[in-house]
Amino acid sequence: MTGRARSRGRARGQETGAPGAQPPPSEEAARPVPPPSAEGELVGRGRQRRAPGAVASEALLQISAGFQQVKIGERGGRRRDFHDAGVHTRQLMEHVKESKTGVSGSKIELRANFMRLLSRPQWALYQYHVDFKPPMESRRLRSALLFQHDETLGKARTFDGAILFLPHRLHNTETVLCSETRHGERVQITVTLTNELPPSSPVCLQFYNIIFRRILRMLNMQQIGRHYYNPDDPLNIPQHRLTIWPGFVTNILQYESSIMLCTDVSHKVLRSETVLDFMYNLRKQCGDQRFPDACTKELVGLIVLTKYNNKTYRIDDIAWDHTPNNTFKRGDADISFKDYYKTQYGLDITDGNQVLLVSEVKRMGPSGAPPPGPALLIPEFCYLTGLTDKMRNDFNIMKDLSSHTRLTPEQRESRLNRFITNISRNTEAQNELSTWGLSFENKLLGLTGRVLPAERILQGSRTYDYNPWAADWSKEMRGLPLISSMPLESWLMFYTRRNSDVAQSLLQTLNRVSGPMGIRMQRAVMIEYEDRQESLLRALQQNVGPDTQMVVVILPTNRKDKYDCVKKYLCVDCPTPSQCVVSRTLSRPQALMTVATKIALQMNCKMGGELWSIEIPLKQLMIVGIDCYHDTAAGKRSIGALVASLNHGMSRWFSKCVLQSRGQEIIDGLKGALKGALKAYWKYNNCLPSRIIVYRDGVGDGMLQSVVNYEVPQIMQSIKTMGEDYMPKLTVVVVKKRIASRFFARIDGKLTNPPPGTVIDTEVTRPEWYDFFIVSQAVRCGSVSPTHYNVVFDNSGLKPDHMQRLTYKLCHMYYNWQGIVRVPAPCQYAHKLAFLVGQSIHKEPNINLDDFLYYL
Amino acid sequence: MCRNGSDRMAALFSPPLYLQRYQFVIEYVKRFIPRKVIDLGCADCGLLRKLKFHRNAIEVLAGVDIDCAALRERVNALAPLTIDYLQPSPRPLTIELYQGSVTEREPCTQGFDLVTCMELIEHLQLWEVEGFSNVVFGYMNPCAVIISTPNVEFNPLLPGLRGFRNKDHKFEWTRAEFQTWALGVCMEYGYSVEFTGVGVAPGQNRDVGFCTQIAVFQRDAGVSNGPVNNAVQMEPTVYRLLYRVVYPSLCDNNIFQRTLVCQVLYRAESLKREFELGEQSMQSDLTACAHSLPPDVVAGSTVVYRHRSHVFVPLQHVWTDPKVQALCGNIHRLRQALMDDSRVQLDTDRDAIILPDEGEEEEDEEETGECEEGNLTPSPVIDNSEEDWETEIG
Repeated sequence: MTGRARSRGRARGQETGAPGAQPPPSEEAARPVPPPSAEGELVGRGRQRRAPGAVASEALLQISAGFQQVKIGERGGRRRDFHDAGVHTRQLMEHVKESKTGVSGSKIELRANFMRLLSRPQWALYQYHVDFKPPMESRRLRSALLFQHDETLGKARTFDGAILFLPHRLHNTETVLCSETRHGERVQITVTLTNELPPSSPVCLQFYNIIFRRILRMLNMQQIGRHYYNPDDPLNIPQHRLTIWPGFVTNILQYESSIMLCTDVSHKVLRSETVLDFMYNLRKQCGDQRFPDACTKELVGLIVLTKYNNKTYRIDDIAWDHTPNNTFKRGDADISFKDYYKTQYGLDITDGNQVLLVSEVKRMGPSGAPPPGPALLIPEFCYLTGLTDKMRNDFNIMKDLSSHTRLTPEQRESRLNRFITNISRNTEAQNELSTWGLSFENKLLGLTGRVLPAERILQGSRTYDYNPWAADWSKEMRGLPLISSMPLESWLMFYTRRNSDVAQSLLQTLNRVSGPMGIRMQRAVMIEYEDRQESLLRALQQNVGPDTQMVVVILPTNRKDKYDCVKKYLCVDCPTPSQCVVSRTLSRPQALMTVATKIALQMNCKMGGELWSIEIPLKQLMIVGIDCYHDTAAGKRSIGALVASLNHGMSRWFSKCVLQSRGQEIIDGLKGALKGALKAYWKYNNCLPSRIIVYRDGVGDGMLQSVVNYEVPQIMQSIKTMGEDYMPKLTVVVVKKRIASRFFARIDGKLTNPPPGTVIDTEVTRPEWYDFFIVSQAVRCGSVSPTHYNVVFDNSGLKPDHMQRLTYKLCHMYYNWQGIVRVPAPCQYAHKLAFLVGQSIHKEPNINLDDFLYYL
Repeated sequence: MCRNGSDRMAALFSPPLYLQRYQFVIEYVKRFIPRKVIDLGCADCGLLRKLKFHRNAIEVLAGVDIDCAALRERVNALAPLTIDYLQPSPRPLTIELYQGSVTEREPCTQGFDLVTCMELIEHLQLWEVEGFSNVVFGYMNPCAVIISTPNVEFNPLLPGLRGFRNKDHKFEWTRAEFQTWALGVCMEYGYSVEFTGVGVAPGQNRDVGFCTQIAVFQRDAGVSNGPVNNAVQMEPTVYRLLYRVVYPSLCDNNIFQRTLVCQVLYRAESLKREFELGEQSMQSDLTACAHSLPPDVVAGSTVVYRHRSHVFVPLQHVWTDPKVQALCGNIHRLRQALMDDSRVQLDTDRDAIILPDEGEEEEDEEETGECEEGNLTPSPVIDNSEEDWETEIG
C-alpha cells in the first residue's frame, strides 16, 4: 500500500474570474475544444468584429479533422494568430513563385537574431484524439486519468483535454487504457492516432512556441502580456517612478529555409505606483474640477496589472458612479468589492471612495460563450504599466528611458548570447527540450545581405551624392536652390511679448537663409498676442485672411493646448498653412541658422514647394501610402490617412484623412480618399496612373489576413469606379516597423548596424510570402530596426529587385528630414497626417489643403 | 457523469465545504499568527494558494503530498506575481513543495508552528494512523496541528450516499471515535485539543454534529520554536523537493536598498522639481531683473538650495515622506543606508542629497538620426546608369 491512494478527494478551488464580470451561465466546465481557426476567419486587433458564438459550434466538428484546423491552447484559451501564419500570398503571384530575391548592390555578411531549431532526423509530432468513457467533464480530471499511464505514454506529452501530442508513435493506432477515479469509478480511455505532424506543420510550430514558453518560465521569467521578462534584475528610474524589466520577445516560426527561433531584447516599463496613487497626484495637480476629464484622458487605453493575479487589463473607461462599496453578483449572493477582496485575497481597501476602472473583457467565456462583460477593477489594486501619452511627450523621461533601453549592436548581441547560454545551462530547460528531442543551435544565424547603391539626389539642375553611411544630405543641400519654391508675399508671424526679440531674430534669419534656397520672402506682418489660448485664437481670427499664405506662431511653451488650437483653426475652419515654433527652440543663437533653415524648408513644403527628387525609372506611377492612428482618448476612434503621389518626381502629394466611425473598417473611409487621389492625379497629369503601388502601414500583428481578404478587394473596387476599362497594375505592400528581427554587420572587427540600404531577402523571410527587409535609415545610437515589406498583392510583374529598389528610393523622399527615413515617404506622410489629426485636430481637415503637405 | 461526494455536498453548503475548511485555517492563522505552516496532503495546493494571500506573518509555507502529478499541476500558481517584485513585501516568504508520505520522518518538516492536515487521515489505513500520529506529533512536534476528517454521523443527511463519502476513504469516524483518537494523541505527545467543525446540518438535525469534524491541537509546553532561519535552506533527505521559491522581500538587503534608493530619489526629485517651479514663478514675477537669486544658503540648511550646478535636497526633507519612514525607521538609519550607495550622492556633511541641475539641452528633432560614424570602408557604389524598369519587365 503506497502511492496514489493517499491523494485525497479535497474539492478543488475554482480560479475566480474577474470580479464584476458576469459569471458564466452554468458551472459546466469548458468543453475541451481547441479554439477554432478555420482559414479566413483569423481576426486581428479586435477591430474586426464578429459574432463569437457561431464559430465555436462549428469548431466542434472540426476537432482533429486535420492539423490545419487544430490549434493548441496552452490552457485551452483562445489564441490569436499573432504571426500571421497561414496567410499564403506568394503562391498567387506568378512572377515570384520561383524566386523573390533581388540582385542589385554589394554583398554583405550579416548576423541576425535567429537560431535554428534542431530536431532528430525524421522527428514528428503524433497527434492523438483521446476519448473518455464515461465522459469526464473536468479537464484536470481528464489529465489526471490519462497521466496514470506514464509507462505507456512516456514523459513527454502535451494534453489539452481532448488532444494529446507525443513525440513518438504508440504501438497501436488505437490504444485502450483503463483508469480509476478517486471515487473508484472505472473509466475507459481510448487514444486514437489522428495525425502525424511534420516538423513544419502549423500545429508543430505552435507546439514549439508552447514548449519555449515553458522554458522561459523555468528561467524564472514573468509573463506580462505576450512576452517574458526577468524580474530579478530591474532597472529603476526613480525620478519618474519607472521600473524597467529586461526581457525577450520570442517566436518560433518556419522561415525561408528552416524553423528558427527569433528572439529580441525587449523592455517592459512598469510603474511602482498604483492607479490610485496616480489619481491622487493628478487630482492635486489639476484640481477637482478638471480631474475627471484629465483622468479619463490619461488613463483610458493604459494597461494595468492587478495585485492579486498576473492578469493585465486595458482600462476602457472609468466608472465614476461606482466605489468599492458597490456590489456584484457572485454565485447567488451579492457581495461588495470591498468584502470580495478581503475574503478572497486578504486585501484591504483603504480608500472606500475611489471610483472603479472598467475593462472590457474580450476573452470568450467558457464553451465559446460570449465574453462575460466588463470587469470592474479597484484602482488601489492596479499598477500601471507602460507610458502615458504625456510621458511619451516628455523629453526628459524619454531621454532617461532610452539611455537604459537603447542597446548598441554589441550590447544587444551579448544580451542575446547570454540568453542562449542561460537556456543551455539550465538543466530543467534542457530536460524539457531533450524529452521532446529538440534543441537550438547555440549561435546567431549568419546570412548574406546586399547593400543597395546610394541614390543621387536631384535638385533642380544640380545633382549631388550623400555620404552613404550618414544617409543624410543636410550639408550637401546647403546653398543649393530648391526644385521649386513659393514666394512668401503675404504671411504673418504671431508672438508673445516675452518672445518679441526671438521673433525678430527668427524673421531676420529666415530672410538670410531663404535667399540661397531660392525662396523669395517679403517681410512678415508681425502680430503680438497675449499668452492665453483665447487671445491667440482671437488674433488668428482677426488677422488670417483668404490671401494669407503662411502663419508662423511662436509658442511660449510646448504645452499642447495652444498648438492644438492653432492647428484646429487653420486646418479646419480657415485652411491656411501654418508653422508653430516653440520659443525655446529659437533661444540658442548659435543654432538659429540651422533651425531657421529647417523652418524655411518646412514652410516651403507646406505651401506646395518642392525640395529635391530622385530618379524613378517607372512612368505613370502613383505611389500610395496608408497609415492609421488609434485615438484612445476620443472614444477609441481610429484615424486613417492616405497620401498619394501626383507627379513623377514624387515631390507633390495628395493627402486625405478620414475618421473612422464605430464598427467601420479604416479602408471603408479610405476608398473615397483613393478615388480622390486618382482624380487629383488626372488633374495634374491629364491621365490616370498605369501603375499603383500601395504601401500599407499600421497593420497590427494578426491583421494580415484581413488586409489580404478585405482591403485589397476594396482598393481594386475603388480603382474600378474610375471606369470599367481602367485597369492599372496594382501592387499592395504591407509595411511593418515594429518587428523583432535585427541584423548586425561586422565591420573592422566590430559589430555594427548594417549600412543604410541593406536588403535581406533570404533565410529570415517567410516562404509563403513575397517579403523582404530593408535597413534604410542610419541611427546615431542603439541598434537600427529594419523595416519589413510584405508584397501581398502584385499584378505588375515588377521584378523583386526593382520592387526593393523602388521602396528604398521612396525612403529618400520625406521632405521633413534631409536624409533617408525608415519607411517609404508616403507612409511617413500618412503617419504624420494621421497623428496630427488624432492628436490635435480630431476632425477631418479642410479639403482645400488636400494638395499640400500642410501637416509636416 | 461522475457524481461524487463533493458534488453532493456542494448542494448542501454555501460556501462549499472545502472553502469553509480553508476559511477555518485562515481564521486560525489570523488569530495565532504562525510563521511556519506546513500543509500535509496539500493535493493541488488550494490551501497554500489561499494562505499565500492570507499570510499575516507566515514566512515559510510548505506543502507535502504523495502524488507529485497533483503537486506539479498547480505549481505555477504559487510563484510570485509580477507585483510581488514591484512592491516587495516587508516580510520574507518561502514556499516549498515536497513529495513524500506523511508516515515517514523528514527533518525538513520539523520546527513548524502549524501543521494542517485537512481530510487526509481517512485516506490512511487504520493501522497507519498510529505511525502518522507519531510522525506528526512526536517527530515534527509543531506548536499546533489542525486535523479535519469526515464525521460519519452526518452521512445519513447526504442524499443518495451509500458507504463512505469517497471510494478511497479507508474509514470514516464518528465524533466519539475521532475524539478518542485525538485525546490519546494528546496524552501521548503532550498536546491539548479542542473539537469543532464546519458544515452545519440543515434544519433540526443539529445533533449529528458538523459535516467535517476538526480537531485543533496545541502543544502543552509553552516552548516556542526557535527563530525562523531563512539563511540555511535544508535539503530534504527522505522527501523529494519538487519546488522551492523565495519571494522577493525587503529582508533581502539588495532589494531593500534598491527599494529605498528608488523611494528616496523619487522624493528628492519631486522636491527639486517643486523648488525649480518656485524659482521659475519667482523669475516670471520679476521679469525685469535677470537673476533673482534664491535666498542665501549655508551648509546644513533645511531648505532645498542650488549651489554651482547642483541642487541640494536636505535629508530632513526627504525624511518627511511616510514611505521613506516606513522603510527606515529613523533618519540615522536612512543616512547610514544611503552613505554607501553609489546611486545616491550625499554632500560632505551627509545632510543633503546632491542632484544634478537639469541642463536645458532639449532637442526638437522629429526623427533621431544623423550618424557620426565617419567614412567607414565599404561604402555602397553609386549607380549612375540610366535605367528604365518598364523595359525590363518580363
